[in-house]
Amino acid sequence: MHDVRFKGEDILGRQLELAEANYKKLREHGIRSVSVLGAIGSGKTTLIERAIVRLQGEGLRVGTIAADSAGDDDHRRFLAKGACSVNINTQDDCHLDAHTVDHALDDLPLGELDVLFVENVGNLICPADFPLGTEREIVVISVTEGDDMVRKHPKIFAQTDLVVVNKVDLAAAVGVDPQRLVADYAAINPHGKIVLTEAKGGRGVDEVLALLGFPCTNTQW
Amino acid sequence: MHEYAVVDELITSLLPRLETIPGEVSAVFVRKGELRILSDRALENAFELLSRGTRLESARLVVESVAAVVGCAACSYEGASTYYGDEGGHFAIPVLACPRCGAAVSVVCGRELYVDRVAIKDDVPPSGGVQ
Repeated sequence: MHDVRFKGEDILGRQLELAEANYKKLREHGIRSVSVLGAIGSGKTTLIERAIVRLQGEGLRVGTIAADSAGDDDHRRFLAKGACSVNINTQDDCHLDAHTVDHALDDLPLGELDVLFVENVGNLICPADFPLGTEREIVVISVTEGDDMVRKHPKIFAQTDLVVVNKVDLAAAVGVDPQRLVADYAAINPHGKIVLTEAKGGRGVDEVLALLGFPCTNTQW
Repeated sequence: MHEYAVVDELITSLLPRLETIPGEVSAVFVRKGELRILSDRALENAFELLSRGTRLESARLVVESVAAVVGCAACSYEGASTYYGDEGGHFAIPVLACPRCGAAVSVVCGRELYVDRVAIKDDVPPSGGVQ
């Protein structure tokens, strides 16, 4: 028996190269991009809808890539808000990957966009190992999933520098203290930012956008 | 679930690298940074299934963990991170803050995922070697 050693090339090297290519492509077109990860039903789509309206009010042209395992519900919601959108059905796959995003970028008028949101499949675990090539990444959870969400998924929160806790208006109704999520996140990721939102009513959305580098000056919603 | 996609990439990229290496592959050793969100058991199961019909069919996958190393730009610390865990000891994950000065750190080690080596069964024991 003998061992043959290899140079330590990442198993997902091909994915990393594709993500890097996506990053460069977006940068070349001057597009600022954000991946939105999060649990099923946490409000990712609503947050993006709000962001579309808000950023359009700032004169920015917004594109979206909507990924779901089936259907085009989110895609249609983004179109209704005036975004340029591409729909992706991952079918049985639990995450988006850089290759799929690359194809989606081919279907978007990149020369006519300033901002791109990529909404991943609702899943807090699988997408984390598959970088897409966006500039920023946020993770969205909501109080209705319970105040132990951060503790239950510590690795993803340890590596996410911007977290949104949505539906805080329902916190009392579901008996959840959002501050427990805030405290857990601070312990796991002392330098991360966490924002409490009620995306449906727009509360907290401007703060999220400001932390993503989009300060909104328009006072009209 | 996503472990299948990872193992699929692993096998696809490893097979061509083995073309010049004779002998039966008995084990594939993967080094996985402790910040990666991948289940060892799911990786092993995926490998067993996806290697069928390939040269890796009789090999087993061995996942070796790599501890996190963090680097601090503020105070030049480079070394082990501190860990955060629950009271019951169910998990312990690296905290991405400098253990010395508390500043934000970069990850030097802990996110890697690569094939480190393969074990090959020899038809003839190497001369002078002890098996």
